[in-house]
Amino acid sequence: MSAFLQYVVNGLTSGAFIALVALGYTMIYGVIRLINFAHGDVLMVGSFIGYEVVVTLVAQHWPIALIVLLALLAGMAFTGGLGMLIERVAYQPLLNSSRLAILISALGVSLALEQGAQLIFGAGYSAYPNVLSSAGFTFAGARASYVQVGMIVLSLLLMLGLYLFVHKTMAGTAMRALAMDKDAATLMGINVPRTILLTFMLGSVLAGASGVMQGLYYTEINFFMGFLIGLRAFTAAVLGGIGNIPGAMVAGFLIGLIGSFSDGYISSEWSDAIIFAVLIAVLVFKPTGLFGERVAERV
Amino acid sequence: MKGVGSRAAATAIFAAVALTAAACSSSTSSGGGSSSSGGTILIGVPVPLSGEYASAGTDILHGAQLAAKNINASGGVDGKKIQIVSQDDACLASTGSQAAQKLISQGIAAAAGGYCSTAAFPELEAFHRAGIPYVMDASTNPELTEQGFNDAFRTIGRDDEQGPIAASFITSFLHATRVAVGNDNSTYAKGLANATVSALQKDGAQVVFNNALTPGQSDYTSFLTKIGQSKPQVFYYTGYYPEFGLLLKEAKQLGLTFTMMGGDANNDPTLIKTAGSAATGAMMTTAPLAQFLSSAKGYVSQYTAAYGTGPGPYSSYEYDAVGVVAQAIKNAHSTTPSAITAALRSISYSGITGDFHFDSVGDRAPANYIVITVKNGAFVPDKEYDNTTKQWVNVS
Amino acid sequence: MAGVDRLRRVIPRSPRARLGAQGGLTVTAAAVALLLPLMLSTYSMSVAVTVVMYAILGLGLNVVVGYAGLLDLGYAAFFAIGAYTSSLLQLDAHLSFWETLPAAVAAAAVSGCIIGYPTLRLRSDYLAIVTLGFGEIVRITVTNLSVTGGANGLYGIPPATVFGTSIVSESGLYYLGLFFLLIAIVFTGLLSRSRLGRAWRTLREDETASEAVGVPATKVKLLAYVMGAMVGALAGMYFSSQFGTIDPTTFTFTTSVTILLVVIVGGMGSIPGMILGALVVIALPEALRPISSYRLLIFALGLVLLMLVRPQGLWPARRSRQGSFTAPLAPREATATTATAGEATEAPAAGRPEPGSLLLRVSGLRHSFGGVIAVNDVSFDLHAGEILSIIGPNGAGKTTVFNCITGMVTPQRGEVSLRGERSLLKVKPHKIVSLGLARTFQGVRLFEGLDVADNCLAGLSAHQGRLVSRHGLLGRTSAQDRREALRWLTFVGLAGKAHVLASELSYGDRRRLEIARSLMSRPLALLLDEPAAGTNPTEKRELMGLVRQVRNSGVTVLLIEHDMGVVMGLSDRVIVLDQGAVIAEGPPRQIRSDPRVIDAYLGREDHEATEAVGEVSE
Repeated sequence: MSAFLQYVVNGLTSGAFIALVALGYTMIYGVIRLINFAHGDVLMVGSFIGYEVVVTLVAQHWPIALIVLLALLAGMAFTGGLGMLIERVAYQPLLNSSRLAILISALGVSLALEQGAQLIFGAGYSAYPNVLSSAGFTFAGARASYVQVGMIVLSLLLMLGLYLFVHKTMAGTAMRALAMDKDAATLMGINVPRTILLTFMLGSVLAGASGVMQGLYYTEINFFMGFLIGLRAFTAAVLGGIGNIPGAMVAGFLIGLIGSFSDGYISSEWSDAIIFAVLIAVLVFKPTGLFGERVAERV
Repeated sequence: MKGVGSRAAATAIFAAVALTAAACSSSTSSGGGSSSSGGTILIGVPVPLSGEYASAGTDILHGAQLAAKNINASGGVDGKKIQIVSQDDACLASTGSQAAQKLISQGIAAAAGGYCSTAAFPELEAFHRAGIPYVMDASTNPELTEQGFNDAFRTIGRDDEQGPIAASFITSFLHATRVAVGNDNSTYAKGLANATVSALQKDGAQVVFNNALTPGQSDYTSFLTKIGQSKPQVFYYTGYYPEFGLLLKEAKQLGLTFTMMGGDANNDPTLIKTAGSAATGAMMTTAPLAQFLSSAKGYVSQYTAAYGTGPGPYSSYEYDAVGVVAQAIKNAHSTTPSAITAALRSISYSGITGDFHFDSVGDRAPANYIVITVKNGAFVPDKEYDNTTKQWVNVS
Repeated sequence: MAGVDRLRRVIPRSPRARLGAQGGLTVTAAAVALLLPLMLSTYSMSVAVTVVMYAILGLGLNVVVGYAGLLDLGYAAFFAIGAYTSSLLQLDAHLSFWETLPAAVAAAAVSGCIIGYPTLRLRSDYLAIVTLGFGEIVRITVTNLSVTGGANGLYGIPPATVFGTSIVSESGLYYLGLFFLLIAIVFTGLLSRSRLGRAWRTLREDETASEAVGVPATKVKLLAYVMGAMVGALAGMYFSSQFGTIDPTTFTFTTSVTILLVVIVGGMGSIPGMILGALVVIALPEALRPISSYRLLIFALGLVLLMLVRPQGLWPARRSRQGSFTAPLAPREATATTATAGEATEAPAAGRPEPGSLLLRVSGLRHSFGGVIAVNDVSFDLHAGEILSIIGPNGAGKTTVFNCITGMVTPQRGEVSLRGERSLLKVKPHKIVSLGLARTFQGVRLFEGLDVADNCLAGLSAHQGRLVSRHGLLGRTSAQDRREALRWLTFVGLAGKAHVLASELSYGDRRRLEIARSLMSRPLALLLDEPAAGTNPTEKRELMGLVRQVRNSGVTVLLIEHDMGVVMGLSDRVIVLDQGAVIAEGPPRQIRSDPRVIDAYLGREDHEATEAVGEVSE
C-alpha cells in the first residue's frame, strides 16, 4: 500500500514540472494558434543560463538561497528576452500566412536553438552542482523530500500567479480577448501585436523558470532535453483543452500521475504509449479536451 | 500531348526502363575509394554528431583525435601522418549510409568508429562493398560480425561476453539471489540485459524485475519504486550513464537500499556529478581501461586537458581502434585497404583497453571485464576475476 | 523562388500549349532522372536513394496534409507498418519482396482506418496530437514486442530481386526507387484529379459547406488516411530493401517531422513540389557536410528564412487547375446546354412528386441552446411545386429550423419527415442532400480557393459518394458531369466565368454560384437562407426572377427572408415565426394584414420592422 502513495508523490512531482511547461504551450497557442515547437528548447536555454550562474556562484561560496534566486532570475530574464526576439523575428511576419508555414518556422527555431546550444555548451551532459538538500520525511511508508514539496508548491504558485494575471489584470484580459476573437479584439482597441509579444514573454519566462527548476532538482541537463519535455508537456496542454490555462495545470499533474502509475503497475516500457492512448481515448469522447471549450460555429 | 493513352504508355515505358536499369546496374558493383595518397593517411570516423546521441559521438571522435595526435607526435606511421576524417551519421540508417559513402569518396584507408547499430549496419555494408576495413568501437550487436564480412572488426566486447561476467560477480561475489535488471530499450542495453538475465538464471539466481525505462526523461522515481517492490538485493542497469546517474540519485532519495550496479556504458564523470554522494559505492562492469590502471592515468589527464571534461565510456575503445589500424598499416607497410584488413586479422595489440587480437569473425578477444566502484568522487578499480582461483579478487 | 515563378510565366497560357510545355519539362526531368547514375558518384547516389525515398513519403503525406488538409504528425507509423510487414513476411513466411507488396499495402490501409477513425470529429490541432500519439504508439509497440525484433529490429532481410538479379548497389537501389516513385506520382496524381480529390479540396476549404453539398465527410477523411498510408507502405517496403535490416529508431516522431518538412518546404499539394522538397530537406544538409558543426544550424536558419520569404513552399500547387474544365467543351455541347436554360429539367429518376403533394412535414419541432428556446413547437408542411417563405424578426429561430431540417442540428423534440414517410432526424447532412434537400447559407459559403466550375461540380457530390463506381469518388469528372455543371451555370448566368476563383466573384455572383451548386444535386426542394441579404435593388429583382425559374424547373422552394418585397412578390405561402413559435401562416395578402404579425414587428423598435411595415402597406 505504501507503494501506491509513493507513486502518487512521484507523479505529483513530475506532474508539477510537466504542468508548468504545458502552461506555456497553452498560453501561446491560445493567442496565435501555434504549436510552439521551440518552447521546450527555450526551457533548455534557461536551464543552461541557470547552470552558468549556479556553477560560478557555488565556486565563490555564496549562500544557496541567494544562488537559487539569482539563477531563477537570470534564467527567466534571458528566456523572456529570447522569447520576444523569436516572436518578432520568426513568428510575427507569418501570422497572416498559413498555419503550417508558422509551424515549420517554429520547427526551424527549435532546431536552431538545439544546434546553437550544442555549439556553445557542447554535446555532452552538464550537471548542476547538488545544492538542494535531499532531507525529507516519510509518511505512511512513502518518502518525500522537503525540496520536492517545495517544487510542487512553487509550481502551483507560479500557475496561480499566471492565472491571476490572466484574469485580474487588463493585460491578461487583453490576452484572453485576443484568444477568443482576434478581429474583435483589434476593434476594441487592444494592441494586438503588443499583447502577443507579452504573451510570448510570459510563456518564455515561465519556460525559463521551469528550466532552472529542472536543473536544480534533477541536475542533469543536455542540449537535447527540451524535445522530450516539450512533447509530454504539449500532450498535457492538449489533454486539458488547448488554450485553457486551468486545464493545462490539471492535465499536467494528471499525466505525471498516469505515467507514474503506469511505471509502477504496468511497465515503464509502455508508459508513453499508455499516456498517448489515454489522450486519444479522452479526445474521442471529448473532442476539445477535458476542459476545452467548444468553439460555437455559426452556420 | 495526345491524351491519356499516350501518357499511360509513356509511364509504362519509364517504369520498365527504371526496373531494367535497376537489374542491370546491380550486377556490376561500383568500385570503392582509392587509398590515401601523399603524406597523410585518412582514417574515417562515422559517429553521431547531431541529435540525442551527439554526446556519445563527440566523445568517440575526441578519442580518435587524441589517438591521431599521439601517433603523429611519435613520428606517425612509416613517416606519414594520420588524419581523422569524421562524418555525422546522426544515428540513422540513411544518414549512416551516406556518411560512409562520403568517407569512402574522401579516400579513407580504413574506418574506425560507429556508435548506434542502426547506423553501423549500413556503414559496414558500404565499407565492405568498397573493401575498406571497419573497426567498430561501440556497436555491441553480435549480428554485426555474424554476417560473414572479413573486414568487420570490433575493439569492444560483445554483449554476450559482458553479461555472464556481470552475472558471475552478482551471484558469486555479492551472493545475490534476487536480482533486478533494467535497460533503456536500445540495441546495446537490451542485448546486454538479455545476456545478463540468461546468465543469472543459469547461475541459479531469480530475476525479479526485467524492464526498460525511457531514456531522456528526468524522473525515474516510479520505475525505481517498482523495483523496490520486487525486493532485489542487486539492481543491474545496462543502459547509459545519463540515466544511471539519475537512478542513483533518485534511489537514494527514495530510501532504497539495494546495491546499484551498471554496465560498461556508465563510466563517465558526469555520472558522479549528477549523482553526487549517491554515487558512492555504486559498481560497474567495464573493460580494464587505462584510466583504471594506476600506471596509465595519462590518458585521462590528456583527454581532460584537451576537451575540458573527462573521457566517456567509449573514447578509450576508439583510441585503441585508431591505434590498432595505425599499427596494422605499419605492419603491412601499405595503406591499401585490403592489406590493412589482412594485417588486422593477424594483429596482436596492446592498447589502453588492454591487450587484444581479433578472433575469426573479427570480434575482440579476449574480452576482459573488471568491476570498478565509485570512491571519493572518482571511479576506482575494485574487483577482477582470477581464472586460477575462480574467485573475484581485488584488482592489483 | 523567383526562378520558379519566372519559369511559370514562360509557360504559355493557352491550355494546349501549356500542356505541351509541361510535357517537355516532364520528359527532360525523366531523362535526367534516368541518366543520373552515369553522372554521379556512389556517394551522391546514396543521397539520391534517400531523396527518392523521402519524395515517395512526401507524396503520401501530401495526400493527407496537402489534399485533404489533415495535419498528420505521425505519418512515420505507415512507413513503419509497410517496412515491418514486408520484412516479417520475407523473413518468416519466406515470401519474395514483390509478393509482400499487397500485404504491406493492405496492412497500411487498415491502419489508416484505425488511426483515422478517432480523428474524425477533432479540430485540426487535436488531430495533430492524436496522429502524433499513434505514431509513437506504433514505434513503442514494435520496440517492445519480440515478434518485431524488439529494440534490435529485424536482420537478414534479403535484397529485392528484379528479373532474377538482387538489387544491392546504390544505382540499382536508385532505379528501384524511381520505379516506386513513379507509382506514387501516378497514384497521387490520379487521386488529385479524381472526384475524391475535389471532395478533399472542398473539405479543406469549408467542412460545413462541404457536408452541406453532399460530401460524405467521414468516408472522405478516412480515405485520405488510407490512400496516404498506402503510399507510405511503398516507401516502407523500399526502405526495407536498402540495408537488409530495419529497427524502430528509423520510425520516430523526428522522421514524421522530416516528412512534413518535405511537404511544406516543397509546396503543399503539388507533386513536383514533393520532389523538390525531398531534395532540399535531404540533399541540402548533405551538401553542407563540409561545414559539419554548423550544418544543421544553417539548415535550421534556412528553414525559418524560407518560411518568412516564401511560406507557400518552393513549388506550390496551382490553384484549381485540376481537371475540372481543362478540356474545352465541343461547340455543339455548348449550344445544347444553353437551349435548356430556363426550361424544365430532364426528369430525373422516378419519384418526382406530384405538384401539390406533401413533400416535407415538420411537426412539433423544438430546440433550445442553453437557456434560450430557439425553436418552440414549430409545425408546417411544404408542398411540391410551391414557394414557401419563412419570415420573422431576427433571432426568431428561422435558420435553426433550416439546420434541423438539413441534419446540422438534431432537434431535442419533434419530427421532420420527407413526403410524410421517411424521417430525416439523425440522418447525416450529406445523406439528406442525396435524398433531395439542398440548402444555401445566410452568409454565402463557397469554396473560396476553388474556381466557379469546381464549386459547381462539387454540388454533384451527393450522388458520387460510392467508392467503386464509375460515377463514384475514384472516377474522374466525366463529360456528363461537366455538361450538367455548364447547364446550371448557364441557368444562373455564370457560364462565362467558369474559371474565375470563387473568392474573386462579386457578391451577386457568389449568391448565384451557391444556387447553381445546390441545384447540381438534383434536389426535390431547395432551402434558401436569406438569398436577398445584402443585394442591391437590381440584384434583388434578378434574384427573384431566378427563384421563380428554379420553381418553374420543378424544384420546390423553401425560403427564409427579411425583405418584405421579395417575400410578398415571390411566395405562394408565408409562415411567420416570432421567438421560435409560429404565429401566423397563410397566403401573402393574409399575412400582410394579420394583426399578430404587425404586432410582432411593431412591438420591436427595429428600424427594420418599421421599414417592413412601410413596404407592406404600399
